[in-house]
Amino acid sequence: MKLKEVDRTAMQAWSPAQNHPIYLATGTSAQQLDATFSTSASLEIFELDLSDPSLDMKSCATFSSSHRYHKLIWGPYKMDPKGNVSGVLIAGGENGNIILYDPSKIIAGDKEVIIAQNDKHTGPVRALDVNIFQTNLVASGANESEIYIWDLNNFATPMTPGAKTQPPEDISCIAWNRQVQHILASASPSGRATVWDLRKNEPIIKVSDHSNRMHCSGLAWHPDVATQMVLASEDDRLPVVQMWDLRFASSPLRVLENHARGILAIAWSMADPELLLSCGKDAKILCSNPNTGEVLYELPTNTQWCFDIQWCPRNPAVLSAASFDGRISVYSIMGGSADGLRQKQADKLSSSFGNLDPFGTGQPLPPLQIPQQTAQHNIVLPLKKPPKWIRRPVGASFSFGGKLVTFENVKIQSQQGAEQQQQQHHVFISQVVTEKEFLSRSDQLQQVVQSQGFVSYCQKKIDASQTEFEKHVWSFLKVNFEDDSRGKYLELLGYRKEDLGKKIALALNKVDGPEVCIKEGKQESEFLPSAGGTFNISISGDIDGLITQALLTGNFESAVDLCLHDNRMADAIILAIAGGQELLAQTQKKYFAKSQSKITRLITAVVMKNWKEIVESCDLKNWREALAAVLTYAKPDEFSALCDLLGTRLESEGDSLLQTQACLCYICAGNVEKLVACWTKAQDGSNPLSLQDLIEKVVILRKAVQLTQAMDTNTVGVLLAEKMSQYANLLAAQGSIAAALAFLPENTNQPNIVQLRDRLCRAQGQPVPGQESPKIPYERQQLPKGRPGPMAGHTQMPRAPAQQYYPHGENPPPPGFIMHGNVNPNTATAQLPTSPGHMHTQVPPYPQPQRPQNGWNDPPALNRVPKKKKMPENFMPPVPITSPIMNPLGDPQSQMLPQQPSAPVPLSSQASFPQPHLAGGQTFHGIQQPLGQPGMPSSFSKPNIEGAPGAPIGNTIQHVQSLPTEKITKKPIPDEHLILKTTFEDLIQRCLSSATDPQTKRKLDDASKRLEFLYDKLREQTLSPTIINGLHSIARSIESRNYSEGLTIHTHIVSTSNFSETSAFMPVLKVVLTQANKLGV
Amino acid sequence: MVSVINTVDTSHEDMIHDAQMDYYGTRLATCSSDRSVKIFDVRNGGQILIADLRGHEGPVWQVAWAHPMYGNILASCSYDRKVIIWKEENGTWEKTHEHTGHDSSVNSVCWAPHDYGLILACGSSDGAISLLTYTGEGQWEVKKINNAHTIGCNAVSWAPAVVPGSLIDQPSGQKPNYIKKFASGGCDNLIKLWKEEEDGQWKEEQKLEAHSDWVRDVAWAPSIGLPTSTIASCSQDGRVFIWTCDDTSGNTWSPRLLHKFNDVVWHVSWSITANILAVSGGDNKVTLWKESVDGQWVCISDVNKGQGSVSASVTEGQQNEQ
Repeated sequence: MKLKEVDRTAMQAWSPAQNHPIYLATGTSAQQLDATFSTSASLEIFELDLSDPSLDMKSCATFSSSHRYHKLIWGPYKMDPKGNVSGVLIAGGENGNIILYDPSKIIAGDKEVIIAQNDKHTGPVRALDVNIFQTNLVASGANESEIYIWDLNNFATPMTPGAKTQPPEDISCIAWNRQVQHILASASPSGRATVWDLRKNEPIIKVSDHSNRMHCSGLAWHPDVATQMVLASEDDRLPVVQMWDLRFASSPLRVLENHARGILAIAWSMADPELLLSCGKDAKILCSNPNTGEVLYELPTNTQWCFDIQWCPRNPAVLSAASFDGRISVYSIMGGSADGLRQKQADKLSSSFGNLDPFGTGQPLPPLQIPQQTAQHNIVLPLKKPPKWIRRPVGASFSFGGKLVTFENVKIQSQQGAEQQQQQHHVFISQVVTEKEFLSRSDQLQQVVQSQGFVSYCQKKIDASQTEFEKHVWSFLKVNFEDDSRGKYLELLGYRKEDLGKKIALALNKVDGPEVCIKEGKQESEFLPSAGGTFNISISGDIDGLITQALLTGNFESAVDLCLHDNRMADAIILAIAGGQELLAQTQKKYFAKSQSKITRLITAVVMKNWKEIVESCDLKNWREALAAVLTYAKPDEFSALCDLLGTRLESEGDSLLQTQACLCYICAGNVEKLVACWTKAQDGSNPLSLQDLIEKVVILRKAVQLTQAMDTNTVGVLLAEKMSQYANLLAAQGSIAAALAFLPENTNQPNIVQLRDRLCRAQGQPVPGQESPKIPYERQQLPKGRPGPMAGHTQMPRAPAQQYYPHGENPPPPGFIMHGNVNPNTATAQLPTSPGHMHTQVPPYPQPQRPQNGWNDPPALNRVPKKKKMPENFMPPVPITSPIMNPLGDPQSQMLPQQPSAPVPLSSQASFPQPHLAGGQTFHGIQQPLGQPGMPSSFSKPNIEGAPGAPIGNTIQHVQSLPTEKITKKPIPDEHLILKTTFEDLIQRCLSSATDPQTKRKLDDASKRLEFLYDKLREQTLSPTIINGLHSIARSIESRNYSEGLTIHTHIVSTSNFSETSAFMPVLKVVLTQANKLGV
Repeated sequence: MVSVINTVDTSHEDMIHDAQMDYYGTRLATCSSDRSVKIFDVRNGGQILIADLRGHEGPVWQVAWAHPMYGNILASCSYDRKVIIWKEENGTWEKTHEHTGHDSSVNSVCWAPHDYGLILACGSSDGAISLLTYTGEGQWEVKKINNAHTIGCNAVSWAPAVVPGSLIDQPSGQKPNYIKKFASGGCDNLIKLWKEEEDGQWKEEQKLEAHSDWVRDVAWAPSIGLPTSTIASCSQDGRVFIWTCDDTSGNTWSPRLLHKFNDVVWHVSWSITANILAVSGGDNKVTLWKESVDGQWVCISDVNKGQGSVSASVTEGQQNEQ
C-alpha cells in the first residue's frame, strides 16, 4: 500500500535505524532530467509522519546543492544510541567526488552543511556503502576499477582494498559483508563480482557465471549468512537475481527469474532475510524470498521503472522506490486498503500549474513508458509469508490463580538451505508466588480458625504487636474469647476494679485521714447530745420558715423546691427521698439541671441510666471513659448499639487517631462491617499485608461474635464482602486457591463472592460446593411439588449418556451456578415447603445474555405440542428469556430454573443482584453443559435450541409445559403505551389472516408470543425513552401501512440502542414488519 | 517464586505465538505459525488435547477466551486476514463465525468486559480496528475504525468495566451505563484510546505518545476498585511505559518508564490483581515487575523456561510500611 509520495527525480537515503523520527533524504539524481529540464540540484530531507494520513511527506529542509548525485547513503557515524546526532549523509557525485553532509545542520537550515569532500575518484561515484560494524568506514567505487575505503575520522587519505582488478571497469555496486566486518564485495556491469579481504588487502574470490550476460546492477550480502550474496542483472536478456554461496562459488546457488526485463536495483531487508526487493525495467517491484526464489509480493506500482529502491531501516514494513517519472513513493508491504481519503494535496496543486506541459504546446508530454494496463487493486494483499518482525517469538501472560503462561522460541539456527532444526514447542505454566509473608500469615489464620485456638492466637498477636494501637486491638479481640468480657474490656481501658478500689481507699485516706475521722468522731460526740435537746422550729417568713411550714403541712414538693431554690441540695435530695420515687426523680433532674460540676453529667447518666446521652455528647477525648461507662452500665441489648454509636462519632471526627480508636468500639460492638469500613479508611487496604492485617481481625471478630453474642454472622455486608473477595483474590493470585475458598464467606449472596467462589471451585477442578455429589443434581425427590417440570425433565434424562459427554471424564461438573444461600445439603431448607416465595431459584451470578428459546423457526420438537396448547395468553416462555428488568423477581419465570439441585434462596436475596437475569441456569454451560443439560441451548443466544433433529430434548421444554399459570399477575401496560400492544397485535392478526403457508403462520404465532417481552418491558416501564419513542414511531408507520418506514425506524432503534435492552423483542418485531410488508396487509 | 507446575508439549510444528488460559485457568489455548489453534485441558498438571482447530490459512497470532457466561468461546486472529470465533458445542469445538473484514494480517483480538455483551475488538496491519458485536441468532454486527494506526495496529486491550459514578446512582433494574473504552497500539508509535459515543460510534479519545518505535502491545490493567486507570505499553524501541490516569474525566495520562530493554518488547500482561506486570522481550526474556511503595517499578523476577526466583525487596518494603 502506498503511504507517501514526493515528486522528485532523486536518489534517496533513509535515516539510520537509531534515528527517530524517521527521515528520508533525497538528492537530485545525476544523468536524469525530468520534464522541466531543470538542471538545479538540491538535497532535501523529509520526515515520515505516519500519523498524518495524507500522502504528502513533510519536508524538513532543502539545501540547494551544486552537485547532482549518483548515490546517496546515510550512515550512523558518531550517532549516539539516543539518536541525538543524526549521523552523516554521504553522497557520490558526478565528478569523482564524495561529499559528507551533516543532516542535522541541513535540518537546522545551516548554510555550512558540508563536513568534508574529496574528489579522489575518477568518474561518477556510483557505489557507496557503510560498514555496519565500524560505521566510520565507508567503501566507494567509481570508474577504472577504483575502490576506496574511507575512514571518516581521517577523511583525507582513503585506503584501497587491494590492487585494482584488471581490466579496468566501472564499479557499479559495493557492499560490506553483514557478518564479517573486514569482507567487502564489489561488482561491475561486466558481470563480475569480487570479494575483498581487507586484512589481507587483496581480492579473495571472484564470482562470475561465465555467461557474460550478467550486467551487475545490484549486489547485496545475506543479512545472516556470511558466505551468501545476491547479484542482480540489468541485462534484459538475463533479468535475474543470482544467489551465490562463496563456499561453492563456481555457479550460483539459485537463480531468481521473476522479472521480465533487466533489474535496476535490489534491496535485502535487514529485518527479515527472506525478503529481497527488486525492481526492473518491466516496471515491477517484487519482493521475493531469495532463499527459495518464491515471489512473496508484488507492489502495486505505476507503470514506471524504478531505479532505486530502499528498505527503511527503522520501520521494517516500509520501503521507498524512486521511479523515472520523477517520483519517490513510500510503500508498506503489509497491504491494506488505500481508501479514498488518502489524497495528495500536491497533486491538485501541481496540476493546477499545468507542469505536465512545460513547453506550452498544449499537449502534455507523453509518458516515458507506454502505459501497460495494470490491474487496479483496491485492496492490496499483504506478503504471502508473514515477515519475521511480526512473528511474536515469546510471550508471558498471567491467568487466574497466579499462574503465568510462558513460551519462547529459541532462535532458529538456519544452516545453509537446511530446514530449521526440530524444535520443542513447549508452553510452561508456572505458579507465581510473590507474597510469602502474606501467605504464611494467612495460613496461620486458617489454622487458628480450624483449631479454634483464638486466645493464644490473639496473645501471640499482642506479643508481636509493634504499635500500641495494634496491641489494643488484639487485646480487645482476645477479650471476646474470655469470661467476663466486659470487665476485661474495662481493664483494657484502664479501669481495673481492684485497682480502683485501692485507689479510692487511698484517696479517702489522704483527704480525710485517720485524724479527721477521729475528729469527726469527736464532733459527733459533741453534737449528738444536743440533738436530743430541744430545737427551734422556726416558722418565720424566711426560707427556713417556709420550708418548715411546708414540711409541717406535708408538702414535700414545695419543701424540695424551696431547698433547691436556696441551693440546699442535700436537704432537697433527702427530702425528696422521703417524698417518694416520683419526687426523687424530679428532684434529681432539677438538681442536675442546676449543678455545674464536671462530673455531673456522668452522675446524671449513671442515675438516669441515659447512656445514649453520654455517648452522644461526651467530649471525644473522653471516648475511653464513655466506653468504660457503657461497658459497666449498659444493658446487653443496648450495649452493641452504644458501642457502635461511640465508634461512629469517633470515626466521623477528623482526627485520624480517634478514627482508629473507633475500631476498638466496633470490636466491642462486634460490628464487623463497621470495623472493616473504619479500618479501610485508616489503612491502605490494597497492600496485601495490610489487607491481611484487617482480615485477621475480621475473621477473629466474626468468630468472637459467633461465640459470645450468638449473633447471626451469616450476614455479610457489602464492604466486608468486597474485602473478603479482595482477600480471596489475593490468595488466589498467589496460587492458594483452597485457602481462598476457605476464607470466602459462605452464606452470602454478594455477587462478587458468588462469582469468585465459582471461579475458584472450577479453577481447582472441583464442583461448586453445595453440589459435591454428582448425584445431587438429580435429587429430584427433594424438589417440592408444584414444579413437576424440572423433575420430569430430569427423570427423562438418562444420566449415563450425559456423563459421557463430559469432556474431562471426571466427576460430572457442577451444573452451573447456584446461589449459596444455603450450601449445606443437610439442612432442611432443601425440603422447604414450596411457596411462591421459596421456589427453587437460581440466580446466575452474571447477567444472562439474551437467549430466546423455542423460536418460531424451531423445528417442532417432541414435547412442544402440549406446551403450545397450554400457553396462557400472557405467558412468556420462561427459560432463558430475560432481561433484567422485566422479570420481577417473584415472577414465575424466574422459578423455571430447573435442572440444578437448587438450593432454595429466599427471594429477597436476589434483590442484591444488579441484573437478575434469570435464565436456564445455563450461565456456565461450558464444561458442564453437555452433561446435565443436553437440551439446553448449546450455543450462546441461539434461539434454536432444539434445532438438531435427534438432539436430546432439554428440560427447558418440559418446564414450559409445566409452567404454573396461575401465579402470573402482571402490572398493566401504561395507558399511553397500550397503543403499541394493540397496534402490533392487530398487525399480527392482519398478517395471520392473509398469510397462507403454515410456516409464516407459525412465525407470526411465535412472534406474537415473543412480543410479550416487549409488553413486559412496557409494564415494568424499563425501556429508555428513545426506544419507546421509536416504538411509537413504528406503531404510527404501521397505522399508515408504511412498513418500510417502520423497518427503517426499527433499524435505527436497533443500531442506537443497547443490545440487551432490545434484543428480546426487536428481532421479532422486524419479522412482523417484514411479513406485513411482504403480505401487504 | 516462579515455579513450573506444568510443561505442555504443544506439538505445534512451528513457532508458538500466543498461549492463553481460560477464565478458570483450567484450559490452555495456543496458536502457532503452523496455522493451528490448540486447546488443552491442563488441570492437575496434566495435558489433554481437547481440540486442534484448523481453519486459518496463515500463522495464527493471538487467541482470546470469552467470558464463560457466554459458553466456551475462543477467538483467534491470523496473518490470513481472518478472525475466527470458535465455540464448544456438546464437547466439540467448531468454528462459529469467521470475520473477513480486514485487508491485512489481524494481529490482535481482545474480548470486551463481559458486562457489555459479547464484543470482540480486532486490530489489523491494514491500520483498522474492527469491533464485532454478537447481536443474537448467530449474527455479528461489525463496526470498523479505519486508519486507526497507519500501517498497522498491533494490539488492542479493553478497559475494565467501570461505571461512571456510583452503582447506587443507577436507576434500579436498569443496565448500568457503562462507558466502553479500549486502548490500541500501532506501527505509528502511538497508543490510542477509543471511546464509544452515545450514538454507538467509536471515537478517538486520546493519543499517548512516548514510544519512538512500533508499539507492540498494550495492556489495560484490571480494575481493583481504585479510581486510577493504568495501561502498560511496550515497544520495538525496548521501552515499557506505565500510563496512569487519576482524574475522573480520564483525559490526563502520564507515562512512567518502567524500563528500557535492549531488545524489542513483545508483550505485557497484568496479573489478575493488577499488581504484577509480566514483560516478555525479543531476547526470550520474561521478567516480572512490581510497583514498590514509593511508586518505583522494580523487577522482582527473571523467568527462564518458566522458572525464576522472586526478589524480596518489594515485599520487605511493604513490611517496613506497617
